[in-house]
Amino acid sequence: MTIVVCRCEDVTEEDIVEAIEEGYDELEKLKRHLRLGMGPCQGKTCMLIARRILGRETGKSVDDMDTPTARPPSQPVPFSLLASPEECEEDE
Amino acid sequence: MSEKRIFDHPVLKFDRGQEFYFEFEGKKIKAYEGETIASALYADGLTKFTESKILERPRGFFCAIGKCSSCIMSVNGRPHVRTCVTQAEENMKVERHGARPKFPGIDVGRGKEIKEKEIEIAIIGGGPAGLMAAITAAKLGSEVHLFDEGSNPGGQLIKQTHQFFGSHEEDAGTRGIVIGENLAEEAQKLGVNIHPKTKVLGYYFDRKVAVERKGRFEIYDVGGIVYAGGAIENYLAFENNDFPGVYGAGGVQTLMNEEGIVPGEKVLMVGSGNVGLIVSYQLLQAGVDVAEVIEALPTIGGYQVHASKIRRAGVPIQTSHTIVKAVGEDEVEGAVVHQVDEDWKKVEGTERKIDCDIICLAVGLRPDTSFLRQADCEMEYVAELGGFVPLRTEDMRTTTKGIYVAGDSAGIEEATVAALEGKLAGAALHEELNEEDEETKRLKREAKKGLEQMRKGPYGKVPRLGVKTCTVDEEVCG
Amino acid sequence: MSGHENTGVVRKEDMNIPDEERIEKGPVVIMECVENIPCNPCVAVCSFDAVKMKEITDTPEIDFDTCTGCGLCVTECPGLAIFVIDCSYSEDKCKVTVPYEYLPVPEEGDEVMALDRKGEEVEKAEVTDVRKSGKTYAVTLEVDRKNVWNVRGFEVIG
Repeated sequence: MTIVVCRCEDVTEEDIVEAIEEGYDELEKLKRHLRLGMGPCQGKTCMLIARRILGRETGKSVDDMDTPTARPPSQPVPFSLLASPEECEEDE
Repeated sequence: MSEKRIFDHPVLKFDRGQEFYFEFEGKKIKAYEGETIASALYADGLTKFTESKILERPRGFFCAIGKCSSCIMSVNGRPHVRTCVTQAEENMKVERHGARPKFPGIDVGRGKEIKEKEIEIAIIGGGPAGLMAAITAAKLGSEVHLFDEGSNPGGQLIKQTHQFFGSHEEDAGTRGIVIGENLAEEAQKLGVNIHPKTKVLGYYFDRKVAVERKGRFEIYDVGGIVYAGGAIENYLAFENNDFPGVYGAGGVQTLMNEEGIVPGEKVLMVGSGNVGLIVSYQLLQAGVDVAEVIEALPTIGGYQVHASKIRRAGVPIQTSHTIVKAVGEDEVEGAVVHQVDEDWKKVEGTERKIDCDIICLAVGLRPDTSFLRQADCEMEYVAELGGFVPLRTEDMRTTTKGIYVAGDSAGIEEATVAALEGKLAGAALHEELNEEDEETKRLKREAKKGLEQMRKGPYGKVPRLGVKTCTVDEEVCG
Repeated sequence: MSGHENTGVVRKEDMNIPDEERIEKGPVVIMECVENIPCNPCVAVCSFDAVKMKEITDTPEIDFDTCTGCGLCVTECPGLAIFVIDCSYSEDKCKVTVPYEYLPVPEEGDEVMALDRKGEEVEKAEVTDVRKSGKTYAVTLEVDRKNVWNVRGFEVIG
């Protein structure tokens, strides 16, 4: 049975439940351990379900859960965009 | 159904541009000017867009608004391109790269420095909230730049083919598509610099906005920001929930109402909020069968008038029902649902299979706030508004100076509220950057009054409570 | 539970309807809008000021004596919840005007399958009038007197 939580990194509900049992009982820890939310969508799709599972398994309320850090870039960009900056042309 | 493109529609007219071809894995694919790569491929019959990297399961697109990244492919050698928000171009070479794309060649940099551009006001997001913020600030005399990812501003309004609710003065009775066009036109007339196809990549201190525009990395040093980045489709846990054919309601709307392509032949709608009910109606209008609408709660979530509309078309609405499984080899061929009791437990003996090739998830939205978190805006979980939202003053200012929020990013409500919040935020930001004046005050009052009106009544109770929870005093906000 | 909250189907007792005398007199509006939602285009469109609301979230308050049953509001309602019935039409037949936004669009004189609030077939009915405003049609059907409170939609046959 496959219930997918993180579509980008193939993290299933089972993976999360096991990880919580092993002691990864915060979203940030789950993220580092499972790569949950670290794919190209940057956690936009999976975090809600992950939060619910964590709440169900640990009894924590959503208010008590941390939110993994958000940092740029928010979307996939090619390395060249950052590695080879060109002067911005003036607006036409 | 072999032809997936919609040609006859009771409400929409698809003025498809010039027909052309691009290459997909050696095959010629027909596309029309303005279509996204994902839409053209979907119209051609492709449902498996990429592959997941560990379980190697196929992925179809899910959200179709550039958020979920389930449609990424290689385009002209560049990997990780979200094909649902990238327009197809003639002779483009598109390939699936699965989970492990090849490393692309890099154009070695010339070492020039990035020049920062100074602007007064940056509006992020071109939906009803962003457009109204831009219009209001520009009307008051501010220099406004609006950044939007889409080809045309309008946000999610462009796929709203139904007439709007709300007050007559705020465009009720007008179809969303038209409202979007009108607002964009007004913004243009007022001299708002609209930057379409521009991705906002992040926030840097102090009030710097990084964007990718026309293939370049740009940094804007801004006086103030109204963030109106919208919402993200909620996902649901059930067996095989990642099958191609399991799509978000927003994704289905994009495909059907923006691109004129039907998602499939028979749909199971999960969720009876207004989105689920409206999208069901729009599917029927496009000639797609809706098997049924299921709802986990004991009562229908959306307006009675929307529910009645699809009931008259013979679509059953089953409350206290949940989905447990998508059936099929590796894409949707059916769904298994069952009834639940008051404690969300399965009612034995109620499990049954529904024939469908699409499972549409209309299980709510939540605010897209990643940009605001980068800007250190203090957040709070407010269930009534759909998730984490920024704390804000009555004027929509966040806890970070110069940053305002409006629309779904401030809390999930509907389009009229988004527009009013945009108006309020645009006026308030103008006021912060300029001297006080009567007109600004008047616009703020008008917007606040409108918001109060919209949040009256039983349906306004939930957002009213939510907004109260996250609205803080000027002093607390710093 | 069998209210509209569970079924999506409104019952006659949920609605604000005109009295018998007014119904027999001639065309009159039936607004099947029973919740306090923030919406008011029906108020603005009425040329006779027959529809009133104090707050935008009120349900429409209709002055049935002022209402002429003109049906302007039928195509204006975003909820497609407004109908016109005419019980003065003939001894055994009544007219029902319903909003319609599907394809194909029927023509005057066509026979269509009249449907009830659950989409169930009621009777074959003749189309007596087709009016368009914006993208929405108001289609008038001739139905059996006994079905005037049941017919709220139709399906084109064939």
